[in-house]
Amino acid sequence: MTILYDEGQQAIATESRRVLEARISKDALLPLLESVGDYHHPFWDTAKEQGWTALAMPEAHDGLGLGLIELGLIAHQAGRSLSGAPFLTSGFGTAKAIELYGSDAQKARWLPALASGDSIGAIAFAAGPDALPARPDVTFTDDRLDGTARGVSGGLAADVAIVLSNGPGVPVLALVDLTGVERIAVPSFDNSRCVADLKFADAPAETIAVGTAARDAALHILALQAVVTAHEQTGGAEVLMEIARDYALTRRAFGQPIGAFQSVKHRIAELYGLVELARANCIHAASREGAADFITAAAAARLSATEAYDTAARDSVQIHGGIGVTWDLGLHLHMRRARSLAIEQGSSLFWEDVLVDRLAGEAA
Amino acid sequence: MTDLETYRAKAVAWLKSMAPTYGREARKGLAEADDLALGRRYQKAKFDAGFAGINWPTEYGGQGLGHLEKVTFEAEEMKHGFPNFYFGISLGMPVPVLMQFGSDKEFVKERVLKALQGEEIWCQLFSEPSGGSDLAGLRTKAEPDGNGWKINGQKVWTSWAHYSDYGVIVVRTDPTVPKHKGLTYFWVDMKAPGVTVRPIKLAGGDSHVNEVFFDDVKISDDHRMSPVGGGFAVAITTLMIERYVATDSAGFGPHLDLFVDLAKHISLNGKPAIEDGRIRQQIARNYAMRSGLDSINVRARLMMQAGMIPGAEGSLNKLVAVRSRQKLSELAIDLQGTGGFVFDEHASPKEDWASSWINAPTGRIAGGSDETLLNTIAEKVLGLPQDHRPDKGIPFNQIPA
Repeated sequence: MTILYDEGQQAIATESRRVLEARISKDALLPLLESVGDYHHPFWDTAKEQGWTALAMPEAHDGLGLGLIELGLIAHQAGRSLSGAPFLTSGFGTAKAIELYGSDAQKARWLPALASGDSIGAIAFAAGPDALPARPDVTFTDDRLDGTARGVSGGLAADVAIVLSNGPGVPVLALVDLTGVERIAVPSFDNSRCVADLKFADAPAETIAVGTAARDAALHILALQAVVTAHEQTGGAEVLMEIARDYALTRRAFGQPIGAFQSVKHRIAELYGLVELARANCIHAASREGAADFITAAAAARLSATEAYDTAARDSVQIHGGIGVTWDLGLHLHMRRARSLAIEQGSSLFWEDVLVDRLAGEAA
Repeated sequence: MTDLETYRAKAVAWLKSMAPTYGREARKGLAEADDLALGRRYQKAKFDAGFAGINWPTEYGGQGLGHLEKVTFEAEEMKHGFPNFYFGISLGMPVPVLMQFGSDKEFVKERVLKALQGEEIWCQLFSEPSGGSDLAGLRTKAEPDGNGWKINGQKVWTSWAHYSDYGVIVVRTDPTVPKHKGLTYFWVDMKAPGVTVRPIKLAGGDSHVNEVFFDDVKISDDHRMSPVGGGFAVAITTLMIERYVATDSAGFGPHLDLFVDLAKHISLNGKPAIEDGRIRQQIARNYAMRSGLDSINVRARLMMQAGMIPGAEGSLNKLVAVRSRQKLSELAIDLQGTGGFVFDEHASPKEDWASSWINAPTGRIAGGSDETLLNTIAEKVLGLPQDHRPDKGIPFNQIPA
């Protein structure tokens, strides 16, 4: 089952779009590409001020008690405007892990701080190509973490992380306060993601889940984040389609707008199709949180949104011709973001496997 | 339960009770004539049970319900493989247009009742050899003849014309004005002298479409359903009537579950094909595409339920679903290797991969080709410019051939 947005939800979409369009410009984002380790502070300040950090968190812990549908709407707009930091998604994943699997003490310690945005959360599950490794590089022994979690988005700025670690014979989902943990910034093609290697050396950590439960919990958190990211990707794809359309209407060649050529107009129409399929899958997935088929719906949303954003990035540049590859026009901001979002929360390769395992009835 | 759920439950129960007599199994091995006869009985049963003309006015034998009930019924009906496709065009377009534009109300009522009960079938005579996508470029002409008209020319791709009693037709009545302005809309008696129907055998082996020739076919002016020169507008109305028909994210081919089953049971390089990354990727991609369409269609239904007009994304259904079905069907044949040679020309495209594959091109062309649909999305949804049209505004008889 899918849904129609109600008036309140539509208002969230309209208002977040208005605020983001007023406060984010490519002129602020372009310099960040050339500086390792910084993010767009006005974006994050806006997220905190508007209550987006608290949106999908429980009211008992200073949250607004809304859910994935509403956060998805914000993420969609953030995708349109190119969010200046990854923390909205990573903070949501961190908070969800604590809310769903953590102790009361952990909730009291972290949820209000994550809801206000005063604390930034990060998710460290992946080991290179493996989004949910059976044997993570980080080890968990006697409530201590050792080893390096590589390529963690938001890791450079985060205060707390949820780490999938290798415990004594079983995987352990661990909560770790990052104060005092060494981070090494990873120079990236999309530097405002604040990607870092987290080097744990006898770092105190707390258990969130152990064994099969740890893997199941990690997959669930990843799926929740994937649905948020899918909305963001769809927003990015949508705005690129509009930019390409607008350019095709104004740019003239051979005596007519280039949008009158079928090779161009069909390319844009195909983008429309990809965007609408992704949007439909996103709305469906967001409405399935808590249902038995949530992972399946999340995988479908993730796959179609990644395809939509990548294709829109590729094709919108192509439609622009030479101007499309210039630094100043900034379409490469979307090219870069399309790829960074494609590898955060597990790539398409990962989600294809997750999906087919379920369709074939092979899921654990 | 909402009213609609109650309605759906009622439909499901009735359809189930009909399945043994008229469903997929009952039709196996039937020759077309027998299948059509069975179809007529099924249509009559539908009428008697109150499931024919669901959203048509009661004065014409309909049920006076909404579009939502109709779509709900059709979505359930589709699951059983009933022989209802003989009436799909007839009740989908020509007969509703007759209700709307027919001048002799008594005559109209009689025809509609017979069509609803499966006794009479109507066809739609639009496409011509010189133009399918370019409908307004048609050449079949009607000239004044006494108090009536005389039709000469040829139509093509006319579904079920060989079983049809009547048809609606668009013809050129004035070649001296630009192409859209010289057309007029009529109904014709398909049994009238001068009408010749010749079936066309399609690539898949079946012959449900026809060429139809008109040689001095005389009709009276009361057959006219539009102002003289106003036929294009009525033709477009015809095409718009069924904008939100029952959709199928499988592109009217096999369900993805059938592909997953196939991949589980076929061995590739010594292990089940379902473990092969290439196969897995296609399953995942197809699932994501189909679930997107399903969500679009559910939302369209919710919007109609809420009294809203569904979004333009509904126009993606045929474009996206049928071409994906075509590729997936090729892959299903690949999977079977030499075992994939087996071909049963009577197999259903919804259950058999070879049948789905060989009939898929028809789906990508009929009812708006992929290219036409992309143009429509680009122009009507996204506001991109119309193609260059050298025949625009030029009198039809001065358009360079």
